[in-house]
Amino acid sequence: MTTGVDVAGDGARSSASGRDSTGAGWLVLGAQECRDLWWSGRGPLLLFVLSVLLSGVTYLTATNRALNFLEQREAVNLVVQFAVALGVLAALIVSADGISGERERGTLETLLVTPVTRRAILAGKLTAALSLWFASFIVSIPYIWVLAGGVGIMGQALALAFSYGTLVAAGLASVGLLVSALSNSNKTSLAGSVLLLLVLFAPTQIPTGMPQGWFFDVLVRVNPVTSALAHISAQLVQGRSWTQDLSYLISPIVIVVGAAGALAIAGNRLVRLTAGGGSG
Amino acid sequence: MTRPLLLLASLLWVLLASAAPAEAAPPHVTVVARPDRVSTTLGDEFVIRTQLTNTSGADTGQLLVHLNIASLDGRAYVDPEDWSSERSQDISLEPGENRTLSWDIQAVNSGSFAAYVVVLPAGGADEPAGALVVSPMIKIAVADRSTLNASGALQVGVVVPVLLGGLALAAHLRHRRRA
Repeated sequence: MTTGVDVAGDGARSSASGRDSTGAGWLVLGAQECRDLWWSGRGPLLLFVLSVLLSGVTYLTATNRALNFLEQREAVNLVVQFAVALGVLAALIVSADGISGERERGTLETLLVTPVTRRAILAGKLTAALSLWFASFIVSIPYIWVLAGGVGIMGQALALAFSYGTLVAAGLASVGLLVSALSNSNKTSLAGSVLLLLVLFAPTQIPTGMPQGWFFDVLVRVNPVTSALAHISAQLVQGRSWTQDLSYLISPIVIVVGAAGALAIAGNRLVRLTAGGGSG
Repeated sequence: MTRPLLLLASLLWVLLASAAPAEAAPPHVTVVARPDRVSTTLGDEFVIRTQLTNTSGADTGQLLVHLNIASLDGRAYVDPEDWSSERSQDISLEPGENRTLSWDIQAVNSGSFAAYVVVLPAGGADEPAGALVVSPMIKIAVADRSTLNASGALQVGVVVPVLLGGLALAAHLRHRRRA
């Protein structure tokens, strides 16, 4: 919930329409959203759940003989992928609640009368969602450290988790915000966003031994999640350079540009009291 | 009387000889493997080399040299694909020629194992079957090793959730007090 946004005092704000014209409104709103997320206990609770899951996966990986006998890089890769997946899920949950949650709690009206543009509202919501991703990444550092320390790939694993995770989190959090803005019910928004994430992550669970032809390769590259994770694996496990198979980065970049662009272009029409038009 | 009997015996011999499958002679090749014994640790990689020599006065033709690995103590299920990704090599040797083939192997199970190389004449399925040439056995002893830090993982796995749980609880209580 976001109420009582204070943009006064920054010395430069109101245009003739009463809206923030300096572009700093989203920063103020982003800071307010982050405070709401973290001080209300919602963010720390999500991080706690994420850390419990990461603990389980890391411990099982470290004690599993099947993984232990051979390739430490595989184990590091598994935990990096899991950390990215959980961090993205957390960011998506927060963004999917962004507009539809405000509507359902009846606080969107208050937010709309604050002197910030609707695009700034969306940018603020996106900032809060991404703050959860960044916190998730920080939480995942000790888990990656404990597994990657002995192989000398800790720096690489962290850099990959951060860069690719940020790309995917930004893209999917933008999609979550779009879904949220288009949903009247918060349940619909959350269910739709989580279902989308599950669909995108499903191909990562296909056993590697299965025959995978060109169609599977196309599916992997079109899907922003699988393509980012495949590029991480190629570097961490197979030791390839980041410049090899750069085509894997196309779909994550497209989803960021497409979803964030849609929010920027249609922002004013998306943030309304009811989804799909009506008042607001 | 003896002539018809001889004729019948000859006919039978011809018939039997034509019915029996022809067996190809094994390739005239000797195989020497080095080293004959390997002691390593789980996950480590090593190389074995096999030297093949054509001992005949003619070309060997196309030969398929295939590596195999078996467990000697029967404790581990061995999937040779996991041990070596390239287990077959094609060669042909001129008379008297010898060639050394290298095999990159990674120990993926602990225990006692044997590696050996088989030389087969390459060709289609309709070629006559025949005996194989097998290298001497290379004994491989693989010691167990734990590569991942399980105790460190346990410590991190307990400490991080406890800290974050405490943080979440503190934030929740603070929020409730304010509300």
